[in-house]
Amino acid sequence: MALLELKNISKIYGELKALDNVSLHVDKGEWVAIMGPSGSGKSTMMNIIGCMDKPTKGEVLLDGVDISKESSKKLTDIRRDKIGLIFQQFHMVNYLTAVENVMVSQYYHSMPDEEEALEALGRVGLRERAKHLPSQLSGGEQQRVCVARALINHPELILADEPTGNLDEANENIVLDLFRQLHREGTTLIVVTHDPEVAEAAQRTIVLEHGRVAREIINENFVE
Amino acid sequence: MTKRRMFLRMITASLLRRRSRMLIALLSIGIGATILAGLVTIYYDVPRQMRAQMRSYGANMLLMPADGETLTEARLEETLSRFPEETLVGAAPYRYVRLDMTSRQQSFTTAGTDFDAVQKTSPYFSVEGAYPAASREILVGKEIAETIGVKVGSEMELTWQPTAVAEGDASADWVPGAMLSGSAEGWSGGSVSISATLGEDGKIAEITVDASTQTAEFGGRAQTDEAFLNQFVGKSLPLRLTNVTDENAGAGIRTAMSAAPEGSDEVDALTGATVTSSAIVNALNGARTASAASQPRTMKYTVSGILVTGGEEEGYIFMALSDLEALTGEDRLDVAELSVSAEEDQLNAYAEGITEEDNGVTARLVKRVTKSETAVLGKLQALVFLVTVVVLLLTMICVSTTMMAVVSERRREIGLRKALGASDNSIRGEFLGEGIFLGTLGGVLGAVLGFVFAQVVSVNVFGSSITFQPLLLPVTVLVSVAIAAVSCLAPIKRAMAIDPALVLKGE
Repeated sequence: MALLELKNISKIYGELKALDNVSLHVDKGEWVAIMGPSGSGKSTMMNIIGCMDKPTKGEVLLDGVDISKESSKKLTDIRRDKIGLIFQQFHMVNYLTAVENVMVSQYYHSMPDEEEALEALGRVGLRERAKHLPSQLSGGEQQRVCVARALINHPELILADEPTGNLDEANENIVLDLFRQLHREGTTLIVVTHDPEVAEAAQRTIVLEHGRVAREIINENFVE
Repeated sequence: MTKRRMFLRMITASLLRRRSRMLIALLSIGIGATILAGLVTIYYDVPRQMRAQMRSYGANMLLMPADGETLTEARLEETLSRFPEETLVGAAPYRYVRLDMTSRQQSFTTAGTDFDAVQKTSPYFSVEGAYPAASREILVGKEIAETIGVKVGSEMELTWQPTAVAEGDASADWVPGAMLSGSAEGWSGGSVSISATLGEDGKIAEITVDASTQTAEFGGRAQTDEAFLNQFVGKSLPLRLTNVTDENAGAGIRTAMSAAPEGSDEVDALTGATVTSSAIVNALNGARTASAASQPRTMKYTVSGILVTGGEEEGYIFMALSDLEALTGEDRLDVAELSVSAEEDQLNAYAEGITEEDNGVTARLVKRVTKSETAVLGKLQALVFLVTVVVLLLTMICVSTTMMAVVSERRREIGLRKALGASDNSIRGEFLGEGIFLGTLGGVLGAVLGFVFAQVVSVNVFGSSITFQPLLLPVTVLVSVAIAAVSCLAPIKRAMAIDPALVLKGE
């Protein structure tokens, strides 16, 4: 069953076609990687899937609902309820502790619950670092906090933008292991990346070039 | 944990953990609030402060006797009791007479007054030497001092030359040890004359009567009847005749008798000689008045100081009111100069109240002083007001700029919050919350420091302290909160326009 369906979407900035008649189908529980060189339309696609932008043409169905014509206010609601975001630059609120950063996500979603937030940090192995400020955490630790933050509200879809782009190999593996765990639990994952190793961890890789889907690679070696 | 607690936790964390940034914002609000609170305090205190200063320009109200009335010290006291104590800076009574300096055959206008009060109503008086402290010390105007060549410490003899004193003027005082003589019309037009000596106590010590013109068996007896004559001894003038039994006593006699004032000493009429007795009493009373009125009195005074004012006061001699009364024997004032610390409207109200009360006193404002005082105060207040408004605007710009910088610096954070699902309203609420928190803190800081600021200005400029206005605290806090909130609005509007996608672009 499709969680996300892009139907012939285009995003046009004046003369430039950032996305040109792209279609994509992601099933519930699927783990998909999106690859492509700079300027291939990865970011535009990511923004549209993340409910932060709307296509010029085409339909976007998320959980069966067409979000391509919604107001930005409504898009905010959908993003909050259904999507967990992970960014390349980690992006934490720098004056809040690790646990508070997780709670911010709860705060906007429903009710802050410190216990639950601590449990989420425990899942990424950072329960002891809960009271630390971002400046006291390493890059890998910060990204793990961001993973905890993304999964705290049990989103239907986790959307990760270059999640390991700024991490060393050890931390990259920790993050990928977390993704594997989430996948096993049935969470749908869409990971935008440059890194073939990260892409190979996914079930399927979509390669974008010049705003079009150039090819689709099924990962034969995917381990469940 | 409720949403509200998380909200507060985020705001306090933002303020506490971003200390240096927030201190700058707090400082900008705090300094603005300080200057604002200080200026507002000064604005409201200026009239009070300046009014006290303005009083150095001299009296602003005059009290004078109403038509046909006499202004006495008692009446003045009564009138002054109308003024609240703190508004009456001073009230100087004045009585003006001409006194002769016989040795130089000159006469000078001399003012009897109260020197303590003069120093308050006319602070611009400058005295070389000292104000009179003891009795019989006087202040001589510079002009006179130069003309007659007196210096501080010189002695001057001044003579009071009484002019006509009204018949039967009981207030005319009495010289002990004086010899009195006089006469009055007795029975059938015959003149009865008396001579009397006063004792040191001012009472009659001895009296002789010449009633030779009167009928011997009636009025003539007044000359020799010891019981009748002895009753005069030891009594004070004026006298009143009582126990009138004579059937011949007509309207004229009653009129003469009733001329003696209330409270006069009484003597019984000689039986069968009421008209003669009445003539004797009238002659005594008349002699007393004539004596008191006609004798020039001289006293010696010491010059304690030379008065320099640059004005007409330099042509006057000033002495204590009590000294002048001793010399002239009169308790009356010509005018009282009042220095009242109040606005023009209030002064008008006081003056009208006094005049309308009809207590024999009329009040007038010294327009020259009150008008210029009002004008200067108005201009000064307008100036402070203008400065306050300018400071308010500058504060708003400063706070707004700071807030703008704070928001710009947090673009990424705002983008992140939006990406995490924050609605525009939550973003607005969070930044406004911080602004209000800062405004409150800055306002309290400003109210306290502003008072200190106003106090310092007041002490250095006006030389007096000010009282803390409790209302200023909530007002300053409210204004600071309002300024901080308004200043936040523009940056918040910008914040809400931030695209959440920017955080994804790996900036």
